[in-house]
Amino acid sequence: MSGERQRISSLRDLPRDIAPPRDLWQGIEARIAAEPRGVAAKGGAEWARRAQGNRWRILAAAAVVAALAFGIWIGRTVLPVPGKPVTTATGLSASNAGAGAPEALHAALVMDPKYAQERAALLRSLEAKIAALPPDSRAKVMASLQTIQDSIHDLEAALGRDPSNALLQELLVNTYQDEMRVLTAVHEAGNAEGI
Amino acid sequence: MIRTFVLLLSGMWAMAWAQASTNFERRLAVDPHGTVEITNVSGKIDVRGWDRSEVEVRGDVGSGVQRVDVTTDHGRTDVRVIAPNHAGGGIDTDLHIRVPHDSQLEISTVTAEVEIAEVEGAQMLRSVSGTIKSEIYEKNAEIKTVSGDVVVRGHRKDTSMHITTISGNIRIDRAAGDLDATTVSGDMTVRLDPSRNVRVRTTSGDLGFEGRLAKGASLNAETVSGDLTVRAIPEAGIVYEVGTFSGDIKDCMGVEAERVSRYAPGKRLTGSQGAAGPDESQVRLKTMSGDVELCDKS
Repeated sequence: MSGERQRISSLRDLPRDIAPPRDLWQGIEARIAAEPRGVAAKGGAEWARRAQGNRWRILAAAAVVAALAFGIWIGRTVLPVPGKPVTTATGLSASNAGAGAPEALHAALVMDPKYAQERAALLRSLEAKIAALPPDSRAKVMASLQTIQDSIHDLEAALGRDPSNALLQELLVNTYQDEMRVLTAVHEAGNAEGI
Repeated sequence: MIRTFVLLLSGMWAMAWAQASTNFERRLAVDPHGTVEITNVSGKIDVRGWDRSEVEVRGDVGSGVQRVDVTTDHGRTDVRVIAPNHAGGGIDTDLHIRVPHDSQLEISTVTAEVEIAEVEGAQMLRSVSGTIKSEIYEKNAEIKTVSGDVVVRGHRKDTSMHITTISGNIRIDRAAGDLDATTVSGDMTVRLDPSRNVRVRTTSGDLGFEGRLAKGASLNAETVSGDLTVRAIPEAGIVYEVGTFSGDIKDCMGVEAERVSRYAPGKRLTGSQGAAGPDESQVRLKTMSGDVELCDKS
């Protein structure tokens, strides 16, 4: 027993090669040979999925930009805002836009060019018509028009906080109609002065 | 001394007044179911119905007035106070007019006060700043003012009223039927018994409605910042929907208003009472910042 066993006193005493008890390489080689196709296919699908995701993101971004551009275009084309706004001593402007009002909202509400034209025409003659009213009526009408402007401003501010609120949207549209009704009434009353 | 001076001044004023206005009187045979059109820029228009087929016009005519025309032709009678253009003053004319009960009225004025009683025909009344007080029956009434108040008294007979003013107050008592009324900054008080189709709206004024709702009636009331107080008693069932963005909602039905969203302001109250079906009345109340009070009991 002691003859079979050599005393090992340093690393040099160990054998340089030891054969493994069983050869694993064959199995590993077979798996490596089979793997490249699977991995490549898996990576390709991942890449395709990412590419499709990016395409949707790009399309969505393009849609957002297009929608914004369209909204701005409508706002600038339909509303007589940007060029020379028709302003009056009453503080009303043909732009229909309160300070800080969301432009897209205006575009949606005041899209009808006929409405915009009629409103601008009524505003142009507003000062003359108001001047033709009796003094006490004049002050009250001015105050009422200011009330409407304040209401529009308040509604738009509220819509700024809650843009999808149907109640506010309806009230805003009705307040615009009220403004139109007042402008028309002032116009008629101004004409009635000469009855 | 002072007393004498005051008396002297009063006498002079009375003489000046006597000279400033002249009395006017005219009477014409007219169609008892015809139309009477009255135009008077300022002063007063007082119209009363009577049983005769005649129109009688009495008036204190301002010194600045050219003439008062009273004509009738093919069922249409015209009472017109003619003042020259750019008349400096003295055009105030008080007219007291008697017309057949069934006459239709068309009245236009700028600052004159209008008062109508016992006239059962349709009424179309326009004023800029003058107050309009009218008694209505079953025929339609269309009333428009800019800053004048509107006061209407009915006889609980079904009619259709269309009333608009910019800054005037609107008050309707004892009327019935359909109503479409709007004011911007004035307050509105409506008592209908019963009502059928009602649309009422103010911008900043407070709005009050009281009365019965006929079967299948609809009541739509809306303000931007004014308060809404509605006491509507249905003849059958009632469906209600109340919404406010920043105001409060109170009711007497014992239903709690709920928040519209967890993340945004706004309250709503929806529900129904009584039997469902085509006889149900519908009540819709909306406001941005006003408070709402709804009750379905008297």
